[in-house]
Amino acid sequence: MGPRVAALACIIPLALAGCGTGERADDATAVTEHFHAALESGDGQAACDDLSEETASKLEQQEKKPCDEAILGLELSKGGTVALPDVQMRSAYAGLAEGSVDFLDEGPEGWKISAAGCRSVTPNRPYECELEG
Amino acid sequence: MRRFLKQNGLSIAFLVLFLAAVGGQAIAGHADFNEEQIRHGDPQMSLGRYVVSSDFGTAVMENWQSEFLQFTLFILLTVWLLQRGSPESKELDKAGLESDEEQKVGGHAQQNSPGWAKVEGIRRTLYENSLLIVMGAIWVGTWFAQSVTGWTQYNSERLDHHMGTVGWWHYLGRPDFWEKTLQNWQSEFLAVGTMAIFAVYLRQRGSPESKPVGAPHTATGVEG
Repeated sequence: MGPRVAALACIIPLALAGCGTGERADDATAVTEHFHAALESGDGQAACDDLSEETASKLEQQEKKPCDEAILGLELSKGGTVALPDVQMRSAYAGLAEGSVDFLDEGPEGWKISAAGCRSVTPNRPYECELEG
Repeated sequence: MRRFLKQNGLSIAFLVLFLAAVGGQAIAGHADFNEEQIRHGDPQMSLGRYVVSSDFGTAVMENWQSEFLQFTLFILLTVWLLQRGSPESKELDKAGLESDEEQKVGGHAQQNSPGWAKVEGIRRTLYENSLLIVMGAIWVGTWFAQSVTGWTQYNSERLDHHMGTVGWWHYLGRPDFWEKTLQNWQSEFLAVGTMAIFAVYLRQRGSPESKPVGAPHTATGVEG
C-alpha cells in the first residue's frame, strides 16, 4: 500500500465519524424545541407525536391515560431552547438551557424523543428521567 | 500483461484478497448490525450507510492499526534484536545499523542504487528510515482513526443508555479503547514471535520466509 492510499484510508474514517452531524444536530434540536413548545401551548397530541413509540406507550401504561393527556401532567420544561445538542451515530443528547436533558433516537420517521426531563444524579450512571421509554 | 502479472503476483494477490475480505466484512457486519437492531426493536440501516458508520470504521481501523504496528515493530526491533537459527533474524554478528559499506550508501552506493542512497544529509537519513517512517505513520494514523470511530460508537452506546457523552481525551482512558486495542496487539505479537521461533525448526520448501529445507537449525539469517 502506498502512502497516499494509506493516508486516504486514515482520513476517511475520521470524516465518517463526524459526517453530517451538524445538520442532524439541527434536526434533533428542532424536534426537541417543538416538543417543549407543544407542552407550553398545552398541545398534548403534538408533544406525543415527537415521542418514540416505545416511550409514548410506556407513558400510557404508567399513567393509565391517553398519551396526550398524560404528557401534560408531567414535570417537563414548558418551552425552552436547546443549548447543547450532541449527535452520536443515531442517538442524540439535547441539553436544554434550563438544565434538563432530553435523549433522542433516529428512526425511519426522523428524530423521536426517547427520554425527557433527565438529570444526572450519579456520575457515570444513567440519568434519572421524568419520562423514559 | 502476463509478464506484469507474473512479476507482481504477490501484491496483486494480496490486493484481491484484501478487497474480497473487506467486502465480505462489510456484508457480514451489516447483516450482524441489523440483526442486533431487530433484537432491540430499532430501525435497520442500509449497507451504504453502514459502511460509512463508526461501527464499521472501528472494526476496520482496530485491525489495521495492529497490523501496521506489528510491521513497524518488526522492522525496528530486527535492527538490534536477533534470534539464533531464525530466517527472520540477521546473522548474529550484524546487530545494529551496519556500516555504510554493508548498506551500500554514500560512497559505497552502486550505480543502480536509489538516488537518495547516494547523497548525504537529511535526504539520506529519511530514505534510510523510510520504511519505518511510513509504516509507523500509518500505524499512528489508523490508531488515531480507531480512537475517533470508537469514541463515537462508545458515546452512541452511552446515549442509548441515557448517559452523558465523554470527550475524546477521556475516552482514551476508558477500558473500551484499550480492550479494542490490546485484543488486536496480543494476537499480532503472538503471531510474529511464533513465526520467528517456528522458522528455526520448521521449513517450507520454496518459500523465502523459510530457510532451505536442508539448512541446519543453527543457521541464522538464511532465506530459502
